[in-house]
Order: sequence, then C-alpha cells, then structure tokens
Amino acid sequence: MVERIEEVTTAMVEATELPDGTARVAPGRLFADVVHEHLDRLYGYCVHVCGDRTDAEDLLQDTLVRAMRSFDGLRDPEAARTWLFTIATNCARDRWRARGRALDTVPLEAGEPDDEFSLFTTIAIEDPFPYSDELHLDFLRLFEDEDVQAVFATMTPAFRAPLLLTTMHGFSCKEAAAVLGVPLGTILSRLHRGRKQLERGLWDYAVRRRLVTVSDES
Amino acid sequence: MIDCREAVRRMWPFLDRSLEPHPAEELEAHLETCKRCCGELEFSRELRGLVATTSSPALPDELRDRIELLLATVRDGGPDR
Repeated sequence: MVERIEEVTTAMVEATELPDGTARVAPGRLFADVVHEHLDRLYGYCVHVCGDRTDAEDLLQDTLVRAMRSFDGLRDPEAARTWLFTIATNCARDRWRARGRALDTVPLEAGEPDDEFSLFTTIAIEDPFPYSDELHLDFLRLFEDEDVQAVFATMTPAFRAPLLLTTMHGFSCKEAAAVLGVPLGTILSRLHRGRKQLERGLWDYAVRRRLVTVSDES
Repeated sequence: MIDCREAVRRMWPFLDRSLEPHPAEELEAHLETCKRCCGELEFSRELRGLVATTSSPALPDELRDRIELLLATVRDGGPDR
C-alpha cells in the first residue's frame, strides 16, 4: 500500500506540472476541495463497483490520479460529482478489461429468472410474520446495513451500478446514464432488472440466514 | 389503461421522479382502481428508502490519511518545491 501511495503521489505531482516545470493552477476551485467534498461517497461507489475493498482502494487512487490529470477540463464546478464518478467508472472499466472481463456485461441469465419475481407478493404469500400488522415493513426491518451490503455484493455489477447511483448517491437517471456511458433507455432497463435482482437477493438472503421461516425453502 | 405488470414496472421511475408526465398519469390512474398496486407502491417506497439510507462502506482511516497526505503534497507542488 505504501508503494502504491507513493506511486500515486508521484503521478499526481507530475500531473500538476506544466511542460515548463511550473505548477498547473486549477481555475476556481482547488482539486483538493473537490476531492474532499466527494471522497466518502466516491469510495463507497468504488467498493460497490469492485465488490471488494482492496480493489476499491486501488480504484479510488486510479480515479484521483486520472481526475487530477484532467482537472483543468472541469469547467462547471456543479458537475464535479458526475465528473468524478464518471472517471471512477472508466477506471473500473479499464481495470476489468485488463483482467479480461467486462464491467458492463449483462449475462442473459442474470435478469431473466428474476424478472417475474415480486418481493411484495412473495412476502404476502409466504406470510413470514403471521401476527404482524405490518408484514412488509417488518420484513424490511430485518435488514441491517451490513445485510443490505451483502445483498448488493451478490448483484450483477451492470445492474447494481445504476440502482445505487440513482437511489443511494442521488443521481438522476440522465446523470447515471452519463456516468456509466450508456443510453438513458439502457439505464431504465437495467434499473428495472437491478430492482428485481435486489428483491430476489433480499428474499434469498432472509431465507438463507433463516431470518424468515417459509413453507418450502427449495 | 395499463395493467398491474406495467404499473409495477413504472413504480421506481415514478419514485425517482424520472417518469415522463404521461406514463406517470397512466400509473396514477391505475392506482386509483388497484388496491394491490397501491400497496406495492408503498412497499417500493420503503424498499427504495432502505437502499437510499444504507450506509456506504466507510473510507478506512489509513487510506484517508494517505489521500490527505498526497493531496497536500500535490497542493504544495510536490516534495521538491
């Protein structure tokens, strides 16, 4: 990690130098201010994209280096959040490609089985809390943050990213489309499939952890 | 008139306020006549809230310290300046 940080620091210092050796001065806002404002959420996004904290740390550092190099191109301070998340997505895509994988792959089997699944209906049919007046809410109350995180980790990355960008990080669908570099229609489709995968994941998690008792676990 | 399947499909975009006005009006018209979908919309709202309020993984202190250090280094123009 120490070597990695030193390597990143060197790259970032180099990125701030103009060809004549003078320091590049970012207009308006300091790069550090932009990073400070979005650092925590950016790290959370990196973890969600990678599904692994060690990878996320490297992805975050790659993102900061690339962001530093292109900071002069950031004309609209209001766009800083979208800009940083877009860079993180592109860095993640490059990292996945280097490993022979594709970040945006949507396996044919990934969404199909879940498309007809309804968590709302399943809870009503299985009735895991027979004496509850708030059956559906009681189901959601079973989940602590770490449980929800565990379910996120089981989701297909191409479905997880749009869901978390729009729901957790507050991006509009159009902004999420820009961050992920896909058409708006693709985002809307993946949001639906992601939501279905989330519903299935929550139910399967609850059954597997025996948070609910069901009639037939098969 | 849209059916329940299509209504459910539109619920999260509706909650995201990303649904266009006409499809949103069709959903609202469906909800007026469908108690089940009203229940599912409320559940979708709560489920969306569960996702929205789930804490992101916290940035490790050690990594935060190192990033602060490198940002300070960059801001000061590098260790040799």
